[in-house]
Amino acid sequence: MTLLSTIQVTNLEVRIANTTLLSHISCEFKAGNIYTILGQNGAGKSTLLKCLSHEMSPSKGEVHWDNRSLEHFSYAELACQRAVLSQSNELAFSFTVEALVQLGEEVVQRPCTEASLVVEAVLTVCDLIPLRHRDYLTLSGGEQKRAQLARVLAQIWPNSPAKEGGEDFCGKWLLLDEWTAGLDIKHQQSLARYFKQWASQGLGIIMVLHDVSFAAQLADRCLMLKSGTVFADGDVNQVLTQSILTEALEMQVQVECDSKTGRPNVSPRLLL
Amino acid sequence: MSLFPPRSSKPILLLVLLLILVMSISLMIGGFSFYPTDVISRLTEQQWFILWEIRLPRVLLAAVIGAGLAISGVALQALFRNPLAEPGLIGVSSSAAFGAVFVIVLGGALWQEVTVWQISVAAFLLASFSTAMLYVIATRQGHTDVALMLLAGVAFNAIFGALTQLLITFSDDTQLRSALFWMMGSLANLSWFSVGMVSVFVLLATLGLWRLVKSMNAFLLGEHVSLQMGYDPKWFKWQVMGLSALIVGVSVSMVGVIGFVGLVVPHMIRLWVGADHRLVLPLSALGGAILLVLADLLARQLLYPSELPIGLLMALLGGPFFLMLLMTKRQLRISSVQRKRL
Repeated sequence: MTLLSTIQVTNLEVRIANTTLLSHISCEFKAGNIYTILGQNGAGKSTLLKCLSHEMSPSKGEVHWDNRSLEHFSYAELACQRAVLSQSNELAFSFTVEALVQLGEEVVQRPCTEASLVVEAVLTVCDLIPLRHRDYLTLSGGEQKRAQLARVLAQIWPNSPAKEGGEDFCGKWLLLDEWTAGLDIKHQQSLARYFKQWASQGLGIIMVLHDVSFAAQLADRCLMLKSGTVFADGDVNQVLTQSILTEALEMQVQVECDSKTGRPNVSPRLLL
Repeated sequence: MSLFPPRSSKPILLLVLLLILVMSISLMIGGFSFYPTDVISRLTEQQWFILWEIRLPRVLLAAVIGAGLAISGVALQALFRNPLAEPGLIGVSSSAAFGAVFVIVLGGALWQEVTVWQISVAAFLLASFSTAMLYVIATRQGHTDVALMLLAGVAFNAIFGALTQLLITFSDDTQLRSALFWMMGSLANLSWFSVGMVSVFVLLATLGLWRLVKSMNAFLLGEHVSLQMGYDPKWFKWQVMGLSALIVGVSVSMVGVIGFVGLVVPHMIRLWVGADHRLVLPLSALGGAILLVLADLLARQLLYPSELPIGLLMALLGGPFFLMLLMTKRQLRISSVQRKRL
């Protein structure tokens, strides 16, 4: 088995026009795990994700992928290793869902027969088969989100997964910024199951989430940000505690340990 | 070099045949009409002259300029991520025309002999400048504000139109005629030399843009998305701006402002084959050539024996089309708002 891929962040700082968005961020991400980045609005979650995907360059500090500085990667090289779903997606041209997904698939050079298999697989995963010939612009918000997610997945989808066992996602990363926003619960849950499965096959997943109880069920590790710094970093059990959640997110919450799963059971409470 | 996507050969072949048909018709019809039955050897020397020295270069020029303008429309639409971007509409063409007229009037006063090259370079520089300016004005953090883009285009058209007219008040009679010509656009009285020059530059720019078709597709999804998909958006933007300005600059310096080709043609092509640039770019080139050859034929024949400036004709045809486009957009927007309310 190949060495598991890691992303190392050291002393990261991001300043834009005299505003410090992130400072003193040091953390590590190991492939094969699902990470969630939590925090209030403006805590710097998306900024951190942008630094990890090299969309933004930090003012100070560095991001290393497998001990190689992100600055030394070409965009094309990175595109084959990681795929990113951004918070906002704009598209003013009418692509069919299938054509949109093909755009993601074409990022990687693949044999022709492989390509159509990848598109098919990704459409199935995102439950888009009935919508494949629909115009993207006529889809609902949640359907558009699924189509974009399918496009993103196609970028890092392994070639012929059946032949080589379960290791094909190795070294690949999936970065998701609020992927659950707009999705119905059914699709959130079915995709979450897939994420678990792919993580066990070596995929590294880093996602920004707002739904803490969903994060508690899905994530292996959590990174809690507060005003641009790391507030807590560790296993779900260590981070999703009553005290950390009340302090970092300033939310009213009840946390219990689920004896069956061993995971925290986080229930936000609305105290009226 | 990217390959054509599957199922692209039929539409391309269809348009190539259509273009050949339209060009042959345009060659035959005119103040002096030929018939397909006329065997070439039976043509008189004078007929040969008309066909070879007047009509053929004109038809070829119409085809090349039409293709170029449609391609620059496609490129600008990808750059601004909006199907309404068009060199004439957003003021790129009129700034190029100003550049051309400026060199003619000022150069005519200062160094007498103004060459085609000087005019072309000036038109190209102004076209690049206004494209870059528009991009800076209308695009913030990778998002294009469509209203801002069109309004800035209105301002550019007004400014450069006024500057051109200002120059006209300072110009003598011959300069006046040529300045008017640049503002209205015309394919008349051009030589084989201009055909060659325009063809070379349009071909070079087209090849340059053809290399970028995949990035154009990705760029439609957003600047940051194209970066995440492995394309360098900065380099892409410079190339698209430069190459489309090259096409517009060279075209305008030869035939003046001809608007709406870059708007109408890509729009129709997208309705037909979808938004994939690997198809939209070559098909728009062919479609633009067909449209302008036809429009030129109309411009020659409609008010025969006098001739309608082709720029005016295209504005008269394209303007209503643009309004129609806005109306359908509005309807779409209204219906989507209604659907959200339900």
